[in-house]
Amino acid sequence: MDVLQWSRLQFGDTAAFHILWPIMSIGLVLYMFVMEIMWLLTKQEHYYRQLRFWTKPFVLTFAIGTASGLPLAFQFGTNWSQFAQTAGDFLGNILGFETTIAFALESAFLAILVFGWKKVHPLVHLFSTAMVLLGASISAFWIMAANSWMQTPLGVTFSDGKLVVTDYAKAICNPDTLVSFAHMWFACVESTLFMMVGISAIKLLGSSPTETKGFFLSTFKFCIGILVVVAPLQLVVGDLSGQVVGRYQPEKLAAIELQWQTNASGTGAPLRLVAIPSDAQQRNSFEVAIPGALSFITTHDPVGTVQGLASFPANDRPSTAQAAVTFYLFRLMVLLGVLMAALMLWGCIYWYRGKLSVAHISRHPWFLWAWIVSIPFGLIATESGWMVREIGRQPWIVYHIIRTADGVSTGLYSAEVATTTLAITLMYVVFSITFVYLVAKMIARGPDLTSPLP
Amino acid sequence: MTTAWLPIVWFCIIGLEVVLYMLLDGTNLGVGLLSLLPQSDKRRLVLMHVFGPMWDANETWLLIAAATTYGAFPIVFSVALNALYIPAMTLGAGLILRVASYEFYAHTQRTKHLWATLFGIGSLLATIGLGLLLGGLLSGIRMTRGHFSGGPFDWATLVTFLITTGIVTGFVVLGYAHMVRQSKIVSKKGFERILLYSILTFALLASATAVVPNTNYLFLSRWSDPRYMPILWSVVGLIAASTALLVYAIHKRDTALVPWLCNTIFIIGFFGIVVGTFPYILPPNITIFDAASSPTTQTFMLWGIGPILPIVLVYNYYISRLFRDDDSYEI
Repeated sequence: MDVLQWSRLQFGDTAAFHILWPIMSIGLVLYMFVMEIMWLLTKQEHYYRQLRFWTKPFVLTFAIGTASGLPLAFQFGTNWSQFAQTAGDFLGNILGFETTIAFALESAFLAILVFGWKKVHPLVHLFSTAMVLLGASISAFWIMAANSWMQTPLGVTFSDGKLVVTDYAKAICNPDTLVSFAHMWFACVESTLFMMVGISAIKLLGSSPTETKGFFLSTFKFCIGILVVVAPLQLVVGDLSGQVVGRYQPEKLAAIELQWQTNASGTGAPLRLVAIPSDAQQRNSFEVAIPGALSFITTHDPVGTVQGLASFPANDRPSTAQAAVTFYLFRLMVLLGVLMAALMLWGCIYWYRGKLSVAHISRHPWFLWAWIVSIPFGLIATESGWMVREIGRQPWIVYHIIRTADGVSTGLYSAEVATTTLAITLMYVVFSITFVYLVAKMIARGPDLTSPLP
Repeated sequence: MTTAWLPIVWFCIIGLEVVLYMLLDGTNLGVGLLSLLPQSDKRRLVLMHVFGPMWDANETWLLIAAATTYGAFPIVFSVALNALYIPAMTLGAGLILRVASYEFYAHTQRTKHLWATLFGIGSLLATIGLGLLLGGLLSGIRMTRGHFSGGPFDWATLVTFLITTGIVTGFVVLGYAHMVRQSKIVSKKGFERILLYSILTFALLASATAVVPNTNYLFLSRWSDPRYMPILWSVVGLIAASTALLVYAIHKRDTALVPWLCNTIFIIGFFGIVVGTFPYILPPNITIFDAASSPTTQTFMLWGIGPILPIVLVYNYYISRLFRDDDSYEI
């Protein structure tokens, strides 16, 4: 493997690992924020207990998130020096905003959120929690603005071999930014809450004391209460996101759908459920498809035109292998998203029928097991979505402006990148295992329900 | 304000960020280095406790410095990190290892020793990485047509070695000074150690300035250039005077003065480096004016980030005050 391939592997590897932690941080701190408001408004003890218990895993996710994000920021310079330089006029500025405004906000207020219970006024504490949530969300916004600009770059012009920003409003609010930010933010919340419900289901299935079960049943219900809003919204935003891709990155859409030939006018493009692409023949050697459905989904017209992959020059669009990967990962993401929405609906029905009580719920092991199985669904869906987004943009690093191969650093050796990749991966694996072990222990020990209230 | 001043303004802001990072996280890294020394579990607990709630806010200054450098001087960020691949990766790996180990140390029971050791190793790696970065930068970076054109070990010079060991001992001093202030554990042996390390730091960094000219001719000419000579020699004088004062303060067991003096020496030293290289930011080729991003970007960033920095500083100060002299935080 050459430096380019190793660098891509390293970035993909570190990004895929890093993204797990901000997802959980945003989801957890949103939950904590809601609990803290409810606690201050009602002074009911169980809100306070929820808040304190879920702060513990939050601290861990936040720390690993901060630490694992650093190599990612460095890699722009170390491994993607030419890209960093050419796109620096815009990207540098955006990353500057991200760290200064957002990150500085969350890092400092985190100290009060975690350690400041006896030190500050309750409202100052609430404000700190709000700042951590706001900081984490703004952080996500700037990262999405930067990445969206790489998908649909606007507001820049080439001058002296470098991209120079001519219109900041256009560059930041490019067509992809808002919808992608919303999609990602909802993904953070939905993924985390699903994990929390699943974890609660484990405790409800086991043999814990009634008070502990009561605590986790509260988590179960609060999360479903928030998910009722988020899960359906996520499907809508996801659809919007797909339309942005269709409109601004037609070759990515063609790759995701393995649509080789543009559909003839008056006929609809079929939505393929399963397909095996053939690189030699530039078509699918096997497919199962719903006639006309792709045209309808992307253009909201049963005979709308969807451009085919073969109508783009071969070296300007994703390779057949890349197209196949995006095709299946995209389907995985959608499938998981729909399953999660359905599960949420099942939860609502049970709640409505009064089955969500400590006495009743253990009589429905299938229901609880469904939630337990779905613990990783949100994370898998988010990771899949990101891979579709990034692999589908190839061979470009900045769509139609800079090729990935032209972005890589100069003067590096494969051995350097390979060594660091392996070292960092090894660390990440050890951290993940330790994290899961520690959180499992926290859950097993259960919440502290007796300490004095503040 | 004409746009010609923008690169200078940004250079000052980034300089401030770097100094803040070196002092704040340098202290934390020093505490980490101290944890590598053999000691009782109880003492180690105090060390980890002192590392405490502010590591995240402190470490963030590095990210802020890196990101604003990227925004204001894109070529510096991209070429320097490209050229200093191994130092940058060492720093990155060290910082992750340190933070993750710290959190795991706090939450585990039986494997505390393992995580404490990894925490120390992470701190050491990060400190070495910082030293290699700074040394590599001062040693000079080979460039052709705006891109790095050297080899993977260009940073491995005598200067880099001296600076790196100087930073390691320097951070130990900062860490020790901080421990003295925070934990009130003051032992005779500890003070002797501070003394030894601060003299070592001075010797190492002083010899580094004497060697720098061999790899970076810019510095050499400035020692004898009448425009810079007075400032550079007063910097040397100030550092020597502060060090002498430090030796005296340590001798007198003045716990309040020691940390202040350590910080002052670091700041003056950094100022000396700036005087020796300004306006070059990637010596010996690129000045801050060559490296600046477009005036539009620098202006936009100045309005976006400029007003935030003082606010961040103020509440960082407030929060660190909140947790100072305190050994009862509730986790």
